Amino acid sequence: MSVMIERSSAWFERYLVPPLGALASSVYLQAVRDAFIIFTLPLILAGSVFLVVANPPPIPGLQALIAPYQSAILVPFQLSFGIMALFLSFGVAYSLAQYRRTEPVQPGILAMVLFLVATMPVRDITTLTLGEILPFLGGQVLLVAIVIGILTTEVMRWFRGSRFTIRLPKNVPPNVTRAFEALVPTLFLLTLVWALEWFVSSYTYLGMDHQVHQLTLPILLTRAIQPLVVLQNSYPAALLEIILMMLLWSVGIHGMNVVTAIALPFWVSTLAGNAPGGSGHGIVTEPFFHIFAHLGGSGATWPLVIYMLRSRSAQLRTVGKVALGPAIFNINEPVTFGVPMALNPLMMIPFVLVPVTIVTINYSVFALGLVHVPVIMQPFTVPLGISGFFATGGDFRGSLLQFFDLAVSAVLYYPFFKAWERVLVAREEAAAQPEESQVQVRVQAR
Amino acid sequence: MIRVLIVCSWGMSTSLLVDSMQEAAAERNCELSVEALSAGEYVARVDECDVVLIAPQIRHLRKSIEKLAAAAGKPVALIEPFYYATMNGRAVLEQVLRLLPGAQEGKPAI
Repeated sequence: MSVMIERSSAWFERYLVPPLGALASSVYLQAVRDAFIIFTLPLILAGSVFLVVANPPPIPGLQALIAPYQSAILVPFQLSFGIMALFLSFGVAYSLAQYRRTEPVQPGILAMVLFLVATMPVRDITTLTLGEILPFLGGQVLLVAIVIGILTTEVMRWFRGSRFTIRLPKNVPPNVTRAFEALVPTLFLLTLVWALEWFVSSYTYLGMDHQVHQLTLPILLTRAIQPLVVLQNSYPAALLEIILMMLLWSVGIHGMNVVTAIALPFWVSTLAGNAPGGSGHGIVTEPFFHIFAHLGGSGATWPLVIYMLRSRSAQLRTVGKVALGPAIFNINEPVTFGVPMALNPLMMIPFVLVPVTIVTINYSVFALGLVHVPVIMQPFTVPLGISGFFATGGDFRGSLLQFFDLAVSAVLYYPFFKAWERVLVAREEAAAQPEESQVQVRVQAR
Repeated sequence: MIRVLIVCSWGMSTSLLVDSMQEAAAERNCELSVEALSAGEYVARVDECDVVLIAPQIRHLRKSIEKLAAAAGKPVALIEPFYYATMNGRAVLEQVLRLLPGAQEGKPAI
């Protein structure tokens, strides 16, 4: 068995790692992911706190108490989480510039300006009310922000190397040089986006309020990708995403990071539709994976940690002890690289299969309305049980679902764990053997 | 003082390893500073370190990191996955010291 495992492990290393690695190494995906984590995640998490307070769980009296102050409590949410796309455009341009090894702040600022230009209809904007544009600065238009962020950095980089750059004598201070270098691409991009926006906003559309509105780039793009958002919120899409995540982790690559970079705009769009007061019933969102599938870390490995603590294999016991603390906060690198799950043909089977089963169960449960759909995002480190309650906007059945999934994971992992334990115990005994036989030889020689 | 730069993914699990490495360094009376940065951030900081380590979950970026480190003249290695998993700071510190031939306990690196 040991030989078979090593052979197929080498096969995976050779044929599965390169394509998955190439996907994960895409500079654009990495820049988008960094931008999410560094620039918008804190806003999402902090903003969510105010969203939760403004929409408390259905406890009699509490809701009546909050109601008069609801709009006031929502202000910090609306100006952080609510306009996250603006900051994401900065983040994407900034992170991409870091990967491209160029100065990052200039493209970052320019991306925010371009995003604002793209968002406002071209007309007398002094008569525009904030309420009109607020919905187009947040979760619904993340793709616009990403495109603008990438465009800004790439165009600035291209200009810097081209003959269209203003060049100053060498003795001019670098800060002055930089300002002039940025001038041509800034003018070019500003004109481009503004002209495009002017063209788009010369058209109108009939809003949900039955009034005629000017069209803008984000509105146009939001409508264009709406079918994709709907498509993403389906069981096949959820299945595809979880399989990709776990295949990446199976070869030791941070799968959640890679898939998040692609899917987060859709997750957030869908989640925004579920927001308290909304009528949405979107299932495939960020908490659907982080909170309801990855129990104890990607792959739902919580039960393995418990099994390991009492294992007959010394290696597994060592890993179990280290893995226990992080598992409480849904961090499982010790499990992934210690058992190991990554590049281990035997453990890769449940590593993919268990989350797939859990996603299937959860999708059905949410679709049947047995548990309230996820409404808010939390840090993925919130422990099991608590996170299910908050993710669903205070539905205790959210926690029950997590514990049910945990039991499913425990049952499915058990036979694979036992088989792997036997392999390791055999290895450990084999490793101890030569010493004993040597001792025997010495005793005999005497 | 040995300055180690760990290139990782989110820095969440790596921070546990960093603590363990600091403890191991204190035991050996060796001055150590460890910084964990993402694959985007580390680029600007390569010049300010002595050794570059790669966390196993971004193994796929190994080639590009090795190239960049080589250009900066810094030794680079992939952290042994099992040491990473068990947060074995002592073993990873050994790995660092092996990469720096001039560095001995207590003595400054290079």
